[in-house]
Amino acid sequence: MGTIVTPTEEPARDSAVAGWVKGHLEGLQAYSLLTGRAFRNFFARPFYGGDVILQMDSIGVGSLPIVVLTGFFTGAVMALQLASTLAQYGQIERTGQLVALSLVRELGPVLTGLMVAGRNAAGMASELGSMVVTEQVDAMRALGTDPLKKLVAPRLLATLTMMFFLAVIADLCGMVGGFLYAVLALGLDARQYWYTALQALGSTDISQGLLKPVVFGIIVASVGCYYGMSARGGTRGVGRATTQSVVAASVLIILSDFLISRVLIGIFGS
Amino acid sequence: MHPDAALIEFDHVSMHFGMQTVLEDLSLAVRRGETKVLLGEAGSGKSVALKLAIGLLRPDAGQIVVLGENVSRLPEPALFALRRKIGMVFQESALFDSLSVRDNVAYRLDEEHQMDEAQIEQRVRECLAAVELEPAIDKMPGELSGGMQRRVAIARALATEPEIMLYDSPTAGLDPITATNIMEQIIKLRDVKKVTALMVTHRLQDGFLLATHAWDAASNQLKQTPKGDQRTSFMVLHNRRAVFDGSGSELRSSQDGYLRNFLQST
Repeated sequence: MGTIVTPTEEPARDSAVAGWVKGHLEGLQAYSLLTGRAFRNFFARPFYGGDVILQMDSIGVGSLPIVVLTGFFTGAVMALQLASTLAQYGQIERTGQLVALSLVRELGPVLTGLMVAGRNAAGMASELGSMVVTEQVDAMRALGTDPLKKLVAPRLLATLTMMFFLAVIADLCGMVGGFLYAVLALGLDARQYWYTALQALGSTDISQGLLKPVVFGIIVASVGCYYGMSARGGTRGVGRATTQSVVAASVLIILSDFLISRVLIGIFGS
Repeated sequence: MHPDAALIEFDHVSMHFGMQTVLEDLSLAVRRGETKVLLGEAGSGKSVALKLAIGLLRPDAGQIVVLGENVSRLPEPALFALRRKIGMVFQESALFDSLSVRDNVAYRLDEEHQMDEAQIEQRVRECLAAVELEPAIDKMPGELSGGMQRRVAIARALATEPEIMLYDSPTAGLDPITATNIMEQIIKLRDVKKVTALMVTHRLQDGFLLATHAWDAASNQLKQTPKGDQRTSFMVLHNRRAVFDGSGSELRSSQDGYLRNFLQST
C-alpha cells in the first residue's frame, strides 16, 4: 500500500532543509567573524599580555606530558612496525629515515593537534560556555571589556604559538622513541639512525611540519572559543558545546592536514 | 543635555530572536533621578529590555537613547565607553567566579589603568562598605551566599560611580529578609547617590517598597513616606508588550482585568 503524501508535507520538508542550511551558514558566518575579529584584536589595545602568558602556561606546559608521551610511543611503534616491513626488503637501516619523515610530516603535527583539541578545545568551550550561560560574558561587556579581546584573542595567540613548539617537541620525542626501539630492540647503529633520519628531511617536510601545527592551533582555539561563546541552554548546552568543539576541531584538523599537504607538495614537490 | 531630558528613552522598540518576538513596540522614558520598575511574568521581555538599554542586544526596530547616545546604532567601542556611566546588576549576580570579591569590584578600574593601586583599593572598599560587605573583600564569590553575591554585584556596578543603574531581578531566588536587605541598598543608592534606575522584577512587593519608602540618613534605615516616592513609576509588560505605565497608586487602583489578576497573583 502506497504512502499518501499530503500536499503540505513537501514544503515542510523543504523549509526544514532550508532552515538546516541557513542555520549552518549562519554558524559559519559567526565563526568566521569571531575568528577574524580575534585576529584583528591581536594588535588592538589594551593588550592582555598576562592572559596570553596564563593561556600559554595552561595550553603549552599543561599539554606537555600528553604530547611527550604520545610523541615518544608513536615514534617507538613506528620503528617497531616499519622495521619488520623494511627487513623484508633488506632496508632495515632506513628505519630512522621513515620514522623521521612520517613524524615530521604527519604524525607529530596531527597527533599533537588531536591531543590539544581533546584537551584544550574542550577546556575552552566549557570554560567560555560556562561564562556565557552564567552571564559572566555579558557582565564583562557591561563592564566595558570586549570578550573577544580579553577571552578569545589571548587563547588564539597562545594556542597557535604553543602548538608550534608542542609539535616540534612531539617530533623530537618520537624520533627519540624510534631511536631507542631501533637501537635497543633491533640492534641498529645509533649514528646511522640519526644520520638517515636527519638526511631524509627536506624543505617540504620541514615546511609541512612547521606550518601544520600553527594552522591546527588556530583551528583548536577558534573552534573551542566559537562553541564556548555560542553555548546556550544551561549546563546541558555547555556539555553539548564541549563535545561539538572536540568533534569539529578534530575533523577540521584531519581535513586541513590533507589540504596543507596537497598545497605544499604542489609548491615544493614531494 | 537638558536637565529634564530622559536619561533612558525607548521609542517604539521591537526585538525578535529568530522567528520569535520577545518585545513589541515598547516605549518608555526614565528621567534623571527617577526609578522605573518593569514588572511582568517570566518571558514577558523584561530582561531583554534591560539588555537593550545597555546595548548588550540591539533592537530590530525603534531606537533607544541612553545618556543622549543612540545605543541602538552606536558601534561597539563607543558602547564600551558609554557603559562606564551605566551599572548593571545581573539576575544571578554574574560575578567572575575565578576572581576574588576585590578583583570583581575593581574589575573596571583595573581595566582602565586610570587609578593607582591605592586609589583602586580605597574605591573598592568604599563600594563594598556601601553594601555592608567590606569584610568579604578577600573571599571568592563561591564562598558567599546568594544575597552576599548580589550585594557584591551591586558594589561592582557602583565602582565607576554610574549615573544609571540597571537591576535585573535583584531579589530573585532570595529569602524575604535578604531580599528586603537588597532593596534597602537599592533605595539607599536612589536617595543618597541620586542614581537613575531601571529595575526589572516579578516581585510586586519590591516595586511597592521602592515607591513607599525612602532612606533616612539620620537613623540609617528605611522609613515609610506618607505621600509615597514620586520619582518611582511602574511599567507592566504582558505578552511582550507594555500594558501599563504610571505611578504605584495608579497601578493599585487600575480596573484592568489583567492588571488586577496580576496584582492579586503576585
